[in-house]
Amino acid sequence: MFDCADVEIRELLPDLAAGSLDDSTRARVEHHVASCAECASELETLRLVRSAYAATPRVDVQRIVAALPKATPLPDRVPGGQPLKRWIDWRVAAALTMISVGVLSLAVALHRSTETRPRDLAAAVASVDTQRAQPVTRAVTGGSPSSIHDTTRPVARSGRPASAPQPKAQLAFAGGTDDMDDASIKVLLGALDEMDRAPVAPSAEPDPTPVLPVIKTGQP
Amino acid sequence: MTRMAQDHEPNDGSTDLELIARWKAGDERAATSLVARHAPALARFAISLGQRTDVDEVVQDTFVRAFGSLHSFRADSSLRTWLFTIERRLILDRRRSERRRRDDTSVDDTDAATEFDALDEIVAQESESRVRKAVDQLSRLQKEVFLLRVNEGLSYKEIAAVVGSTEGAARVHYHNAMRAVKESLYV
Repeated sequence: MFDCADVEIRELLPDLAAGSLDDSTRARVEHHVASCAECASELETLRLVRSAYAATPRVDVQRIVAALPKATPLPDRVPGGQPLKRWIDWRVAAALTMISVGVLSLAVALHRSTETRPRDLAAAVASVDTQRAQPVTRAVTGGSPSSIHDTTRPVARSGRPASAPQPKAQLAFAGGTDDMDDASIKVLLGALDEMDRAPVAPSAEPDPTPVLPVIKTGQP
Repeated sequence: MTRMAQDHEPNDGSTDLELIARWKAGDERAATSLVARHAPALARFAISLGQRTDVDEVVQDTFVRAFGSLHSFRADSSLRTWLFTIERRLILDRRRSERRRRDDTSVDDTDAATEFDALDEIVAQESESRVRKAVDQLSRLQKEVFLLRVNEGLSYKEIAAVVGSTEGAARVHYHNAMRAVKESLYV
């Protein structure tokens, strides 16, 4: 059994058997087959094979369709091919995250400024009280957050050596001045002015603390 | 271009890609059209691969798997070629599973023989039976290539994509298969 030497025609025989050639090509191949016993025999074999396998088992299309997964429409796309909704969602999420972080940071900062500061000051006052070696000469302890403490001797502070020069006076506020009335604030400011004007008395002590005035804060 | 699109199955005028787009948009009728168009070819191909039982099930599994990953279909090849590729993998996987099961349990040949007889009834004429026998003598790869070329009209490039080979290798397999079939029939 021989094969035709015209490989191009032989390659087209399955397509001729399937009827899938365009008109001009089909005419050319049929013309060749008419005069070529090998190609005619091969074409006959191809038609037999197609006929033998033409019978197809019945396939239940509806059953198959019922078993298919449901279509999930994809998000709209921008011309560049990017999924539009996903892109928008990403930007919104990023913006919301940044806003959340900003708000959270602000809240933390405010919380610290309103709560931790008085606590630190109160701790500092307590520290002064416990380290005080001499009696307090004058003190104002109204019990209110704006109570003023004075001390009459140097106070050792962390990070500052005991022999270092101390301020002339130390004022400790166990709170802000928000709850003081105008009169109390006026008195306080006047007392501070007096402290500034008063000369520092020489003392045997290395760095005495001046006396602070007593201020009535209106507390019982 | 010397080849025209080959389509044995119902055609509603829409291309496969158009039907896929419609299905993605929620049109269930597009799925019906796609299944009706390609299911017969898939059934034939399953039989040509030696699948004698559960052909309907294999075809259904092929479509379920294909539609489940239809978003990944890039249209580099035709939908039918892609479906053939999926079906071929499914059948090979089923064979491996059956082989493992056969190792564990005794083989019941009764069902297979019954299915084979039923299939033989489809092929009524004697010449067709002879052709079937001739084709059945081919190696698995030769048979796949030969029937994809002759029955389904796939190009060598498409066949290579289905069977995981090269275009040149597919051409060689086809011509070797043709020679073997002719020798079996006429010598």
